[in-house]
Amino acid sequence: MNESYQYISFYGLTFNVANCLSTIITVLIVFGLFFFLSRKISLRPGKAQNLLEWIVDFTNGIVKNAIPEKREASPIMLYVFVMFAFIFVSNQLGLILQVAIGGKTFVKSPTADPIVAMSLGLIALVLSHYYGVQKLGLKGYLGTYIKPVGFLFPINLLEEFTNFLTLSLRLYGNIFAGEVLLSLIMQVAASHGWLTFVGAMPLSIIWQGFSVFIGAIQAYVFVTLSSVYISHKIESE
Amino acid sequence: MQPALLLTAQSSSLGDTLFVLVSFIILVLLVKHFAWGPITKMMNQRADKITGDLDYADQERKKASDLKQKREEALNNSQAEAVQIVANAKEAGNQQRDSIVSKAHDQAQDIQKKAREDAKQAKADAMKSVQNDVAELSLNIASKVIGRELSSEDQKDLIDSYIKELKSSHEAE
Repeated sequence: MNESYQYISFYGLTFNVANCLSTIITVLIVFGLFFFLSRKISLRPGKAQNLLEWIVDFTNGIVKNAIPEKREASPIMLYVFVMFAFIFVSNQLGLILQVAIGGKTFVKSPTADPIVAMSLGLIALVLSHYYGVQKLGLKGYLGTYIKPVGFLFPINLLEEFTNFLTLSLRLYGNIFAGEVLLSLIMQVAASHGWLTFVGAMPLSIIWQGFSVFIGAIQAYVFVTLSSVYISHKIESE
Repeated sequence: MQPALLLTAQSSSLGDTLFVLVSFIILVLLVKHFAWGPITKMMNQRADKITGDLDYADQERKKASDLKQKREEALNNSQAEAVQIVANAKEAGNQQRDSIVSKAHDQAQDIQKKAREDAKQAKADAMKSVQNDVAELSLNIASKVIGRELSSEDQKDLIDSYIKELKSSHEAE
């Protein structure tokens, strides 16, 4: 992985090809997986349906932990389900597939880019504000910024930005660091012939396994925290 | 156009953000239509079915236990009834026997009484006729033996004394 990308411009907007391509691949993998798993849905589940139901139960459990009331939790479940799958696949994509042509990276983990991570954070942020306004009304929602006392308004406002930034950058930092270290190990492996190649292999294996673990944990942390933020927003107190 | 393009070329933030947002929204819609909708519907159906089955099982169990209780009650009742019936029959038999016996007893007494009365009557009748006959006979005999006319008063005294004697002799028998 290196830091040089191909850019294309389209109607005045610039796109990073690596980000867009990786995002498309992730979307296709996630959709393909769920499409494949949901083909034969019946009351008595088969193997594929069991796996899908297990994932659904897992993400629903995350939402229920943060938002105990079922009526408020159910609209968020779909978002958490898709977001978890999307981030999980994104995190693993860079470990499985990295494509670099002519010194320019084309496919990597989309979440190893701060812009993509912040876009995902933005979705969580917008959803939390949306459900906050929906639950409390505009007045009640604005009222939460001067609680418990008025002079905390700047801190409450700042908290929104820090929540958003920590949520996004935690994801970005973990995945980016993982990929950087992986590419460093690759460089070491290629540096001094077969000796370093053999020596770096166990390191690479260990770090790849650890990155899979981190990718799963970060996906879990991201959806857990975003549902916690949403639950904070819809708390009437 | 060219400077603007160059300017935007420095940063792909907006383009990438929009791209990710749009692809995520499309992904959510696709997953909702193809996987999430059917699977949650089926899971809810299963949850409903399990709840319904559990309720049904509870109902059936309650019904079965009720039925069992009823059956046991009926069994106990039937035993008690059988005992009652036998006891009733025995009592009725005893009553009937007693009534038959007492009736027979009464009848026998009646018959006896009647017979006794009849006998008494017959005896009285017989006595009366005998008394008349004897009176006539003895008058005849007496008139023949004595050969003289008795006054009607003497005659009556004589007969009465005779009858008294007869009566006493009859009672002495």
